[in-house]
Amino acid sequence: MRSDDKIAQDIDWPLFACYILLVTMGLMTVYSTAFDPEHPHFFDFSQKYGKQVMWVGVSLFLGLLVFLIDSSIYRKFAVPIYLFTLFLLVVVLFMPAINGAHAWLGFGSFGIQPAEFAKIGTALLLSSYVSNINMKSQNVKTVVISNAIILVPMLLVILQPDAGTLIVFTSFLFVLYREGMSYDPIILKIINLIPGVRFKQTWIGTHFIPILFFVVVLCVITLLVSNNSFNLLFIPDLNTSGIVGVIIALAIVGFVVYLILSRMASRRERKQAVIVVLIAFTLSSILALSVNFLFQGLAPHQKDRIELVLGLNEDQDGADYNRNRAMAAVGSGGAFGKGYTKASLSSVQSNHVPESETDFIFCPFAEEWGFAGSLFLISVYIFMLLRIIIIAERQRSRYYRIYAYSVGMILFYHFAINIGMNIGFAPVIGIPLPFFSYGGSSMMSFSILLFVLLKLDSQRRDILY
Amino acid sequence: MNFDSRKIVIITFIVSIGLLYAFRLLYMQVIDDTWTLRAQEIAEKRKEITPPRGVIFDRNGQKIVANQTYYNLMMVEADINNLDTAAFAKLIDWTVQKVRSRFYQIKLGEGTFYNRHTKKRTSNYQKGRAYPFMKELTLEEVAEIAPHLGRFPGFYEEVTSMRDYPYHSGANILGYLAEANREDIERDSYYRAGNNMGRAGLERFYEEELRGQKGIKYIVTSALNNALEPFADGMYDTIAMQSAPMKLGLDIILQAYGEKLMQNKKGCIVAIEPSTGEILSMISAPSYDPNLLVGKRNIGINYPKLIADPDKPLYPRPVASEYPPGSIFKLIQALVALEEGVINVDTGFPCNKSLVGCHNHGSPSDIMKAVQYSCNPYFYQTTRRIIQQGKSKNTFEDAEIGLTIWAKYMHSFGLGEILGTDITGQRPGRIPDAHYYDKWYGHHRWAFSTIRSNSIGQGEVALTPLQMANLAAIIANKGWFYTPHFVKEIGASGPLSSFNKKHYTKVSAKYFPPIIEGMRRVVNEDGGTGRQARMIDVVVCGKTGTVQNPHGKDHSVFIAFAPMDDPKIAIAVFVENAGFGGTWAAPIASLMIEKYLTAKIKDAEKELRIVEAKLSNIQ
Repeated sequence: MRSDDKIAQDIDWPLFACYILLVTMGLMTVYSTAFDPEHPHFFDFSQKYGKQVMWVGVSLFLGLLVFLIDSSIYRKFAVPIYLFTLFLLVVVLFMPAINGAHAWLGFGSFGIQPAEFAKIGTALLLSSYVSNINMKSQNVKTVVISNAIILVPMLLVILQPDAGTLIVFTSFLFVLYREGMSYDPIILKIINLIPGVRFKQTWIGTHFIPILFFVVVLCVITLLVSNNSFNLLFIPDLNTSGIVGVIIALAIVGFVVYLILSRMASRRERKQAVIVVLIAFTLSSILALSVNFLFQGLAPHQKDRIELVLGLNEDQDGADYNRNRAMAAVGSGGAFGKGYTKASLSSVQSNHVPESETDFIFCPFAEEWGFAGSLFLISVYIFMLLRIIIIAERQRSRYYRIYAYSVGMILFYHFAINIGMNIGFAPVIGIPLPFFSYGGSSMMSFSILLFVLLKLDSQRRDILY
Repeated sequence: MNFDSRKIVIITFIVSIGLLYAFRLLYMQVIDDTWTLRAQEIAEKRKEITPPRGVIFDRNGQKIVANQTYYNLMMVEADINNLDTAAFAKLIDWTVQKVRSRFYQIKLGEGTFYNRHTKKRTSNYQKGRAYPFMKELTLEEVAEIAPHLGRFPGFYEEVTSMRDYPYHSGANILGYLAEANREDIERDSYYRAGNNMGRAGLERFYEEELRGQKGIKYIVTSALNNALEPFADGMYDTIAMQSAPMKLGLDIILQAYGEKLMQNKKGCIVAIEPSTGEILSMISAPSYDPNLLVGKRNIGINYPKLIADPDKPLYPRPVASEYPPGSIFKLIQALVALEEGVINVDTGFPCNKSLVGCHNHGSPSDIMKAVQYSCNPYFYQTTRRIIQQGKSKNTFEDAEIGLTIWAKYMHSFGLGEILGTDITGQRPGRIPDAHYYDKWYGHHRWAFSTIRSNSIGQGEVALTPLQMANLAAIIANKGWFYTPHFVKEIGASGPLSSFNKKHYTKVSAKYFPPIIEGMRRVVNEDGGTGRQARMIDVVVCGKTGTVQNPHGKDHSVFIAFAPMDDPKIAIAVFVENAGFGGTWAAPIASLMIEKYLTAKIKDAEKELRIVEAKLSNIQ
């Protein structure tokens, strides 16, 4: 064991400072948003701000515990911890539904959301397992197991159902990507079944994050133009439908990529480049066509929903109520805000923005502090995320690094989606803003995630290899 | 393989999201104000207080347009709790079906919001907001309902005001109010769904002067529409202000009397005070009680009936009907001929019936006699001298020059153009010019003989009764007029500035006395055509007209002014399908003059004959 002042020396203060800053700003915002004139006291435990103070206290206490406990237990007990969180995810399914989801596990008047804690279990086990894989000799088994660790809690979460947490679990794909995990073992097995084909590696299997990104962007663009038609620049009279436009754009991009590749490549590689570009173009076109076909085949109300998310439709007071009110609140903040406790739209009292102390807490903050405050908050989050990447990259142990990336990516997802849905860039899926939103489960689980990281990082020099 | 470079991909993701969001926030919060406006729309409610409209007085200080208290039955859906629709329907005496459909009507009508920035109409129905469920209940009606409203939470009564016309006359002048329609709301930000605005007459013409200033309270509200606090401590609030009262030149007693005289007849009476241009009365017959069109419910019942009435009571005949003037038009021909110098006062023409038909009378040896006898051949020849002045050897070209000169004179009398009176629905009448006939007959293919009917007020020329009355006023003034107008004072200020401008005709004052003398003889000497207008102690000057009507019996016309030496009233009476001008229009005019000047009628027999006459169904 190490002495306390040693801990104080090795702890990453910038990251800890970000944590304290965010928690403080969060408390202030919860107080201002949920303020009840009949209970003005900040520590009034009948009010949300009083409770949040308590949750922060509990979280700090848990953080202290994390620092006192020998960190090796996380690795030793990774499997039991993981299984325990899975067990909670199963138990919660038998709990009565609140707001249509079996997400809450009640202890008296308090409840916790096991899905928040499942992220910790998954992160710990994934780090432990993947750090033992030799990335040069991956096989079907390693790919399947490491993905199963992510997929099983996802499956349980979808049964609640909780779309937000489900999406957050895909953040682990970034971690696998960083570690060099490849889907090739499985993809090759399937592709090489085709007679005459014998690949040793596929680009898709290894570079799955850029590919996924491309796929998502392509899908969104296809959906955006799906109902449009426009005139081509060079043939003014020819009216093309959206999907034809997408395929023409793909062809142009493909040609440009080919030109760039062929300039850099040798003669033999040039031939390959043609094949790669052609295959990529074909696959992309098929994807765009099928997305377009599926979208056109959807029932009108499903179509409306998708168009709503993409911002193609307006339904201010119906399905788009939350987002419309949230954006109005954020947008009305102006450059310097309306002033602390002066949020006219997103205070709980006015209640124009639903969930303004939990999922939509960015609204009251942005309304009160304006662009200056929003920019500051975003900067703090970005700084924190980059700090976590730096911390991850300085670890000698792959186990530590994978865990650090897990934490970073989970926080990144929460940040991106939560702020995104306040500014019309993401669909409204209820996930909290880390360290900021009101709520015990999220405050505790994020704190534990972060404190374990701080603890591991403080011991990084103890690891020789 | 080394995967360390992949951290760059991840860092790129993080940094780009950060930058993207920062720029998005910069746009949303600082650059674009759409969301600020949207937030105001959501949270800062303007509560508008519509003041009662301005009241209107007549020239003697009688209140002729007042406001009356009514009640709206308001509804707040959020407060409605287990509504017993059947019992409620019974209370307000509606069918259950009607109660239900009224809910939908509110959501689709009053519950929509028109955004002037995006020009889009969106549903803005809010359960916590009060909407009028039933409008315009009288005190008696609300007294039956209000005591039972305790059983129906979510409903309550609210005071409102509506027009009241205590004299029941002057409908065609005063106009009526109706709810602002979609177009009005989109054009003028003053109006909201359910607001009233002037639809015709003075109510429409002086809408902006009468509607007053709305009071606006800005309040910050919650999603349930509870008022949270006054916005910015009431800094932007304004108080509702009723507009200043309006005073008319109208004499409501005379107006009511004229309507009584014109009952069961079709036609118009217009009376003007020559020295000021103020309209003393303007009767359009048949007319209606203005109280029939007060409030949405009355309009719903009575408007369809009025619009379907074949006699067109809503049609403002005095300003919109364009009639051939008949013989009264001879007066201007005489004046123009004198001014042009083509005749002089002593010029005589024989009554040559081969030119144009005439009745039997003495020889018109001068202009006074010609007016007195209303000799058709005389004015035929007079007008021919105006049109064919011999300025060109080509008869056709000569007629074109003459007609152009003639038309200029006519316009200077306010004919052939909209006078600019402060009322809606005015028509210009018609003064044909060279261009007009070129279109009909071709250039240089017409001459005086083609257009000769105009000389005796038939043919293509047409005047509105207002223009006829104005003609009488011009003669009374010996050559000038103020634009006839209703409003004398708006609050402390006088009439619109355009009514303070004297308009001079192109005929000098010195040519008027012989014509006036002729008009005196028309009424006051044997052989005159307007003897029925004669009064014992007042010298009336007038001129009859009988307008040939190809569709039925002739129209009866009479213009006059009195007293001769100090004209107080100039009047035009036009009775459709009544026959000879002296028989009906002349006595009506004299009764009006007598009523205005002496407030009493001495010849009760004459009055009775007029009042009881039913001329409206004669074709």
